[in-house]
Amino acid sequence: MASGHTPQRPLPDAKPTPRSREPRGTELGAPWDSRGPRPTVRAHECSSVVDGNFEEVPRETAIQFKPPLYRQRYQFVKNLVDQHEPKKVADLGCGDTSLLRLLKVNPCIELLVGVDINEDKLRWRGDSLAPFMGDFLKPRDLNLTIILYHGSVVERDSRLLGFDLITCIELIEHLDSGDLARFPEVVFGYLSPSMIVISTPNSEFNPLFPSVTLRDSDHKFEWTRMEFQTWALYVANRYDYSVEFTGVGEPPAGAENVGYCTQIGIFQKNGGRATEACVSEQHDQHVYKAVFTTSYPSLQQERFFKLVLVNEVSQQVESLRVSHLPRRKEQDGEQGDKPKDIGGSKAPVPCFGPVFTEVEKAKIENSPKPFCVGDKFFVPLQRLLAYPRLNRLCANEEMMRSVIADSIPLSSDGSAVVTDLCNYFDEQFEF
Amino acid sequence: MSGRARVKARGIARSPSATEVGRTQASPLPTSVDLSNNEASSSNGFLGTSRISTNDKYGISSGDAGSTSMERGVKNKQDFMDLSICTREKLAHVRDCKTGSSGIPVKLVTNLFNLDFPQDWQLYQYHVTYVPDLASRRLRIALLYSHSELSNKAKAFDGAILFLSQKLEEKITELSSETQRGETIKMTITLKRELPSSSPVCIQVFNIIFRKLSLWPGFAISVSYFESKLLFSADVSYKVLRNETVLEFMTALCRRTGLTCFTQTCEKQLIGLIVLTRYNNRTYSIDDIDWSVKPTHTFQKRDGTEITYVDYYKQQYDITVSDLNQPMLVSLLKRKRNDNSEARLAHLIPELCFLTGLTDQATSDFQLMKAVAEKTRLPPSGRQQRLARLVDNIQRNTNARFELETWGLHFGSQISLTGRVVPSEKILMQDHICQPVSAADWSKDVRTCKILNARSLNTWLILCSDRTEYVAESFLNCLRRVAGSMGFNVDYPKIIKVQENPAAFVRAVQQYVDPDVQLVMCILPSNQKTYYDSIKKYLSSDCPVPSQCVLARTLNKQGMMMSIATKIAMQMTCKLGGELWAVEIPLKSLMVVGIDVCKDALSKDVMVVGCVASVNPGITRWFSRCILQRTMTDVADCLKVFMTGALNKWYKYNHDLPARIIVYRAGVGDGQLKTLVDYEVPQLLSSVAESSSNTSSRLSVIVVRKKCMPRFFTEMNRTVQNPPIGTVVDSEATRNEWYDFYLISQVACRGTVSPTYYNVIYDDNGLKPDHMQRLTFKLCHLYYNWPGIVSVPAPCQYAHKLTFLVAQSIHKEPSLELANHLFYL
Repeated sequence: MASGHTPQRPLPDAKPTPRSREPRGTELGAPWDSRGPRPTVRAHECSSVVDGNFEEVPRETAIQFKPPLYRQRYQFVKNLVDQHEPKKVADLGCGDTSLLRLLKVNPCIELLVGVDINEDKLRWRGDSLAPFMGDFLKPRDLNLTIILYHGSVVERDSRLLGFDLITCIELIEHLDSGDLARFPEVVFGYLSPSMIVISTPNSEFNPLFPSVTLRDSDHKFEWTRMEFQTWALYVANRYDYSVEFTGVGEPPAGAENVGYCTQIGIFQKNGGRATEACVSEQHDQHVYKAVFTTSYPSLQQERFFKLVLVNEVSQQVESLRVSHLPRRKEQDGEQGDKPKDIGGSKAPVPCFGPVFTEVEKAKIENSPKPFCVGDKFFVPLQRLLAYPRLNRLCANEEMMRSVIADSIPLSSDGSAVVTDLCNYFDEQFEF
Repeated sequence: MSGRARVKARGIARSPSATEVGRTQASPLPTSVDLSNNEASSSNGFLGTSRISTNDKYGISSGDAGSTSMERGVKNKQDFMDLSICTREKLAHVRDCKTGSSGIPVKLVTNLFNLDFPQDWQLYQYHVTYVPDLASRRLRIALLYSHSELSNKAKAFDGAILFLSQKLEEKITELSSETQRGETIKMTITLKRELPSSSPVCIQVFNIIFRKLSLWPGFAISVSYFESKLLFSADVSYKVLRNETVLEFMTALCRRTGLTCFTQTCEKQLIGLIVLTRYNNRTYSIDDIDWSVKPTHTFQKRDGTEITYVDYYKQQYDITVSDLNQPMLVSLLKRKRNDNSEARLAHLIPELCFLTGLTDQATSDFQLMKAVAEKTRLPPSGRQQRLARLVDNIQRNTNARFELETWGLHFGSQISLTGRVVPSEKILMQDHICQPVSAADWSKDVRTCKILNARSLNTWLILCSDRTEYVAESFLNCLRRVAGSMGFNVDYPKIIKVQENPAAFVRAVQQYVDPDVQLVMCILPSNQKTYYDSIKKYLSSDCPVPSQCVLARTLNKQGMMMSIATKIAMQMTCKLGGELWAVEIPLKSLMVVGIDVCKDALSKDVMVVGCVASVNPGITRWFSRCILQRTMTDVADCLKVFMTGALNKWYKYNHDLPARIIVYRAGVGDGQLKTLVDYEVPQLLSSVAESSSNTSSRLSVIVVRKKCMPRFFTEMNRTVQNPPIGTVVDSEATRNEWYDFYLISQVACRGTVSPTYYNVIYDDNGLKPDHMQRLTFKLCHLYYNWPGIVSVPAPCQYAHKLTFLVAQSIHKEPSLELANHLFYL
């Protein structure tokens, strides 16, 4: 907890909970929300009224957002990540880790951290952030580590220093006045990331909801735009950040003056990124408890790079081999076992498969062609390098040779991949 | 026909094949209880679910938007149906005690765990009705769960049937709720049944509770009653995932076939396969391919907006679909309950789907399979470690603990039990009795001994090509030498040279085989299946002559010639009707029968039934028949035909009928026990009764299963190891309602040995359990294709080999002229 003498108080999970009265859309079963927030119950009269989200029941009074508001907030963060391409991102008050799950697919992120006060929830959700089987077969380009910490956002932990982006989505309204006072000093002053995103309810919007005072029973306050902006400008000014205001959840027609349902402040540090030097000067201070850590396979790791390259080479060689089979049969009678050029351009055109640009086509055409000697089929490594998918992985012949040499048979001079021209399974496909 | 209509049409025609690798089989649940996707239970206060939608306005959703119920890596094997078949109570001699006592006791650790609950634990089954009636299951659930009476109770509810672990105060409880629209709904909860913890319905509910926790990626789990206790079993399970997307597969296939028959071939190859989607780690079965839809087309999202598949995957997963011409795979999403909502279809992009399971090409690659086995076959110590980690996970996870506690369940300790190791067997040769060093392989022990009985091979043919003539000659010399030392006389054959193509081989066979020819040997130039299949087909049914196919490549292996020649000489002896070795059989007039069933590789609706019966008291000679059938009840009928034939043979050789008959029945799937008891056993009995006018033979029927949940380890020198050969377990891990036991009759060089499970479903013989177990163990020594012990009794292994040959290569019934020879080895 924040400190030894303050009473234990659950730090809010920033996402809507079943208690939350914030309106939710009818959209169900979205890809990532299956473990996320569930449809709400509005229990004004004991338990006798059930929310109509389960059905296509029109709601006359309530405002509905499409997509639901919590997803608009996540999408907002995701768009920001797409735009700024941060490498290290932390979500404070990550709750059920929905936002992290959305962000982990982003190719630019290399370190993704979630912090929450609810340890059980982190443990429970951790596994859903682990790499999928498919991530091993089609690894990312860059490494990615995901860490979940149990701890409070008003405590300092040096492992969160030097981040490019820190998000606090629907977090601050759950802080009591003491914690709220400490919050800027920790997040802005100590962690001091390049960018901070803070979202919070806009209380000017509340009158549009039926009988709502605060949107969640754990909210300590809900601010008007003026209140939030005053606070934000003060904080930005004090810690040398600039701030822009926006929001998600458009007000309905006729009520435009109330502003967005969720107000958002985007803080950018003046003078750009935190310098590495400044980070290393800090003392190591580990107060958070890491409850879950996972790293993703990537092409930066030799093992997976090799796996991908060998697989791509094998597939390319196999496809060249197969496309040469019918032609070879016709030529059998005419020519003996002399090496012969059997070209690649006249192979039957598949109805789909990789499509090459003119430049790529020319590059492939101009590379050394596959050839046969006896019943062996050779594909020069230079040829393989001409294909975009392989070229993307491997810059030169030497590199390719050294990686694939112990997995794929090569010609004696190492310049080409060798395989049997015909194999047993060719027969299976004769009709 | 529309894509959907086609899927439906196919859905009826195609039944899931149990033999396919990587297919997760849905277990048949009795329709009365279907809670598998019930949101249910736990008092977390959440209502309903965000996953399921009964709104089927948009029949087609993008793959991940659909809600499939598949749990990652969790496979549940259940045999609720079989559990209600109580066969033991009819067997007087084992009603009180079914355990043996001979052998050396051995302490064993299992993969079973205690699941404790209070003595008087009961499950209460209620029925819930709504007035006015509500169609939406979600609304039904939501309304019921919102009531404080139920909010703190452990519950499972499917919209009509409600299970509680605590009884409600009243037998009939009336509640009412108001919907959003202000409509008042009356709910009546009526107590229907109080179920003791031993009831099969309870077991189902337990399984549902555990599956919902889905804590065990990579484990197959189940909850079931073993003897007197409810146990939880867990085993490491693997799925093979190919480093090949469906698009890559299709592109390669298209190159091979060309365009003309591509779509047809592609559908044939892909439909029915299981794919794993890269972005959400879910598995789907391919039910159809929609060639008219492309990734650039749009679909309607749940919120009603239209989006192209390309944009959707970019936005949602940052995945760029590179091939815009690929068609869409169509998967029929599993229907979640027995409501009338139309089944949902998902469109999947081939580029984003990985194929699962091994190809035929891969399974025929010995080196590859060896590598796979090295990875997947965990040694006992590795398995034990994983189990320990699993238990740790369950105990540390507060949600799981809480959920189990609400139900009154407590996850307990790992079960240890005592097994027995039965004495090893002596191998009887012609003039020598040999006590093998290891029952796993006695080839070295009997190298210098003569086999029991061999027929001289005088007239025979070798077919080979020009290229292989030389190896054929040198092999022949070697073969004659080793055969001679075995006591098997092999004369010089006629060698015929043929061209290297399957048709030439068959033509040569047709031309040169005459009634005098005892055996045809073919030296095959390649392992192309058509060579083997066409030769076997012709020589097994059209022109019945024993045949021996040998790959030229095998004969080229340096330094292996002697052992290869020995093995082939043994096979040839058997194919001519010879006998290799025997074990002591204490019963004087016993016939053993093995039955196995599998599906034909070409026409999946045809069942291949292989039956093999011993025809002499020494159990060294066999009568083998294979019959093709369409349904399970037909199988029972053809068993009668077979038994009558086998008994006639026995009578012919022994001038009497056997006093005892023991049938080992393999190839039994989950839920088929009832058919066996109701149809097969009576048919077997009637064939035995009809064959004799006075006292008929006494019959026992034993179901043999190579796959079962329990695993056993011994603790030796502080590590866990496989139990010794001959280990019998007949307590604690067995079922109270059955006369059953486990027997370990094979060695696992790699990995953990899986015990073979025997369930005696019918027994007139009244042998003591000790004797039944020992006899079964003895029979595991009599499979002539391997000089060592095998995992099932020899008649089962013969029946298996026979069905495999017919299902894979011949596809019709072999000629009865071969029935007295082990022609299929």
